[in-house]
Amino acid sequence: MTRTNQSETPAVLIEAMSKSYGSFKVLRDINLRVPRGEKVVVCGPSGSGKSTMIRCINRLEQHDEGRISVLGTELNDDVARIDEIRREVGMVFQHFNLFPHMTVLENCVLAPTLVRRTPRADAEAIAMRYLEKVRIPEQALKYPGQLSGGQQQRVAIARALCMQPEILLFDEPTSALDPEMINEVLDVMVTLASEGITMICVTHEMGFARRVADRVIFMDGGEIVEEGPPETFFVAPSSERTKKFLSQVLRH
Amino acid sequence: MFALLRRQKVRNALLQIFFVGTIAAIVIGGWLNAQQTLERQRIVSGFDFLWRSTGWEGNFSLLAATPNDPYWWFFVVGLVNTLFLGVIGLLLATFVGLTVGLARISSNEVLRFLGRIYVDFFRNIPLILQVFFWYAFVTHMPAPRAAYDLGSLKISSRGIYAPVPNVQWEFLLASVVCVVAAIVVPIWLGGTRYLSRPPEQRRGLRVAACLGLLALAVLVFAAGGKAGEPLFSVPELQGLNLRGGMRISPEFSALAIAMALYGGAYIGEIVRGGFKAVGRGQIEAAESLGLTPWRIFSHVRLPLALRAMLPILANQYIWLIKATTLGITIGFTDFFMVVAITINQSGNTLEAIGILMAGFLLVNLSLGALFNHVNKAIALKGNQLRS
Repeated sequence: MTRTNQSETPAVLIEAMSKSYGSFKVLRDINLRVPRGEKVVVCGPSGSGKSTMIRCINRLEQHDEGRISVLGTELNDDVARIDEIRREVGMVFQHFNLFPHMTVLENCVLAPTLVRRTPRADAEAIAMRYLEKVRIPEQALKYPGQLSGGQQQRVAIARALCMQPEILLFDEPTSALDPEMINEVLDVMVTLASEGITMICVTHEMGFARRVADRVIFMDGGEIVEEGPPETFFVAPSSERTKKFLSQVLRH
Repeated sequence: MFALLRRQKVRNALLQIFFVGTIAAIVIGGWLNAQQTLERQRIVSGFDFLWRSTGWEGNFSLLAATPNDPYWWFFVVGLVNTLFLGVIGLLLATFVGLTVGLARISSNEVLRFLGRIYVDFFRNIPLILQVFFWYAFVTHMPAPRAAYDLGSLKISSRGIYAPVPNVQWEFLLASVVCVVAAIVVPIWLGGTRYLSRPPEQRRGLRVAACLGLLALAVLVFAAGGKAGEPLFSVPELQGLNLRGGMRISPEFSALAIAMALYGGAYIGEIVRGGFKAVGRGQIEAAESLGLTPWRIFSHVRLPLALRAMLPILANQYIWLIKATTLGITIGFTDFFMVVAITINQSGNTLEAIGILMAGFLLVNLSLGALFNHVNKAIALKGNQLRS
């Protein structure tokens, strides 16, 4: 990986990216530049392509046109390159996707020992540190199925952190949770945000966006319709579509 | 009285008593009826025949049997033959099934197509036909004089002849134990907490333990040799026949091949289903952590697929064990055949069939219990959210 001038290469750079499923265009002409350390919240109605866009960043989905560079490395068919990028990009999913046959600790240790070749004892120490950070060190030896949804999602965050990634992607991390568990996950995310990691977060939690985001992006119909800092985005949205969406989400 | 009958518990109890009573009446009635009929026809019932000698010889047996041996010994011989065929057949079928199943879920289109053809072909031809086909196939191999010669393995119409160790059995057993230890001990060394040295620095120790135990196995094996005889008995042509080594009868190989190929088609589908049951989300999570495809397979997909497969696999295994009874159609001396001949010769039909059923129940219930145990041990803990 050529990393000339660390601070100037953006964490993620998307240029004129498009993607279609058959004849249906999910993403059209996406341009996005996320400098290191920025917190970006992506919102928009369902089917607007927000999940697909962030899944393109660690190549869980392939883009058809345009370019994506992550930490200065361009994503293409090169498998070694994809693995290299995935090591530096953590992801938290809507349905947690923990490995149900492993304990919480094993979930956290798996990738560091296999991918980064961290000695087991060190990996366990790192895992315990992050489990403390997400406030469930006492559950380390339990299995995911024995935890509540909120706890599982916090384990999933710890698992992603154990790879010590530079970028964290969140794909609707609170959408599958019961209302009383949403805050315990958001609190962890707020703590993380204050520590300088680059975050791109697809979410409908507008309160979280207000508190944490450096920039809010609104997507609809596969395009980025509007973007701006939360103060202006929520107070004075410029496009009609954004206004309509905000009036629907913020009604209550 | 009527108020009592309206109580749910009382009703349930009465119903229970009625059921048990009816079933008991049917069983006792049948038993008495059978005894009367047998007496009227002057057929001696009872299990005394088990201790009489049989006067016949089996064509294949793992245990030594002569015409002077009693019936009960032949039952044991038959059961052991059935178990041996069952174990070999299941192992081969599992191997074939894994290969076919993995081909069917592979990303390679040609492999997927071949897997499908295989399943469609072997699953849709009756097993008995396949048994006949393979029996014809193996008995049409060349005569012993012109046997196919694969080193010390010889394939002829009279069977497959393989070399066997020619050492005292105590030494053979000890040697096998050493080989098993050579696999188990290094694995144990890798995980144990009894050693102060961290697991990453134990590679040398593990290699040394493995090689040492293998060397010990060879030494023990060599020490068990019989005076003046080679360590292996190798089949050799003498006159018109092959002598020495172990003979695997054509009946046995035909059945084992048929079970492996037919069972493999079914197990292949079970394997495919198991892998399809693994959540897309878990695979994506593994991908997003940077795990390579092989690591994702061995650490996530396989362990989860195995858990989905196991219950259905147990079913299939029990089914295949029962299918060994087809051996009677080509004259393999299995449990079923021994019982059939016994019935012919002794006339103790009910007793012999009772023993046959009890034997299969014993085998299959044990297999089922084993699978249940494994299944429980590796079951996913807690509630599972499917995504």
